[in-house]
Amino acid sequence: MATLPQLIEEDIQRIDASLNDFNAQADATVALVIDKGGFLITHAGQAGELDLTTIAALASGAFLANQTIAGLVNEENFNCTYQQGERTGLFIVNIDEHCLLVVIFKAVTGVGVVKYYASAAVQKIARQLAVAQAREPGKGFDLSELNVADPQNLFRRK
Amino acid sequence: MAIINQATKELQVKVVYYGPAMGGKTTNLVQVHDHVQTAAGNKGKLVSLATSSDRTLFFDFLPIEAMTIKGFKTKFQLYTVPGQVIYNTTRQLVLRGVDGIVFVADSQYEKMPENVESFQNLLENLTSLRMNLAEIPYVLQYNKRDLPNAAPMEYMEFLLNNRDVQVPSFGGTAHKCEGVFESLNMITRMLLQKFINQSAPQYA
Repeated sequence: MATLPQLIEEDIQRIDASLNDFNAQADATVALVIDKGGFLITHAGQAGELDLTTIAALASGAFLANQTIAGLVNEENFNCTYQQGERTGLFIVNIDEHCLLVVIFKAVTGVGVVKYYASAAVQKIARQLAVAQAREPGKGFDLSELNVADPQNLFRRK
Repeated sequence: MAIINQATKELQVKVVYYGPAMGGKTTNLVQVHDHVQTAAGNKGKLVSLATSSDRTLFFDFLPIEAMTIKGFKTKFQLYTVPGQVIYNTTRQLVLRGVDGIVFVADSQYEKMPENVESFQNLLENLTSLRMNLAEIPYVLQYNKRDLPNAAPMEYMEFLLNNRDVQVPSFGGTAHKCEGVFESLNMITRMLLQKFINQSAPQYA
C-alpha cells in the first residue's frame, strides 16, 4: 500500500500558507489536512477547544463510508461530503490518494463559497504533497535511543 | 501507515483491535482509557460509535501520547472494529492505514469457529487493501480466561498462532484489565522496533 511521504518543515509551512489563504478567502473557522487513515497532518484557523485529533479520525471514517456508498450505487466517486448545521457547517473534500481537506465554517458563510475556494486550495496542497512524494528525505527517523526491550518506557497502568 | 512529521516532530501510529463479536475489543480500549498512566493532556477521549445496545457500529477510537524520543512525540491511535459479520465493509475502512494489530480472540470453546473465521476475515480484508499480515506487527490476546468453558491456551495457539512465524500471545481477562497492557505494550514495542529497522541507514 502506498504511503504518505515524510513531510519536512517546508512542506508543512507551504500547506499551512495555503490553508491560511483559504480560511481568509472562504471565511472558514478552521481547515485541516488529514490522512485517510485518520491522522491529523496540519491545521490552520481558530481551533479553540475543538478536539482536532478526534475530528480527523471521524471525518476520515465518514468520508470513506461515503466513498463505499458511491461504489454501491455505481458512482465512480463522491469526492466531497457536506454537513449543514444550524450554526456550523462541515465540508470534506478529497485532496489526493492519501489526504483530505476538512473545513469547519459558520453556517452563515454558506457552502458555495467554501466549495469554490476549496478547489484552488486542494490543488495547491496536492502539488506540495506531490513534491514531498518526489523528494527523497535523506534524514531518517532515528529511534536508536529507545530501548524497546524496556517496558518501563511504554504504557504503564495506574 | 504511520505518519512521520518532521515539521511538527511527531510520529503517529495506528493500532487496530480486531476479532470476533463480543470478544472484548471495546473492553480493552475502555480499560486502557481508565487505567493508563499518562501526563496530563496526553490521553484523549474514548469515542465510541455504538448502537443503542452498546455494540460497536463503526469503531471505537482512543488517542494516547506515549513517550518522546529525541524530541519526537509518539502518538498512538487505538481503534476497534465492529466484530459482527455484517459489518465487514466497516472493518475494511478502519483497517486503512493500520500499522499494528491486536487480535482479541474469545477463549470459550464454542467461540472457536468465530475466532478462526474472524482471523480469516482479517487476512482477506488486508489482501483487499493490498496489505499482508506477514508485514504487519500483530499480537494475539486470548480473552475471557476467567470463564469455566475457556479452552486451553495450547489449543488456541494451535488454532490461531500456527503460521510460519509465531507471534507473541497473551491470556487475558479484559474486564479485570488482565492482559490488556501486556498486549498493548508488546504491539507498541514491535511497532517501534519496525520503525528502528526501517530508519536504519541503507548502504548501497
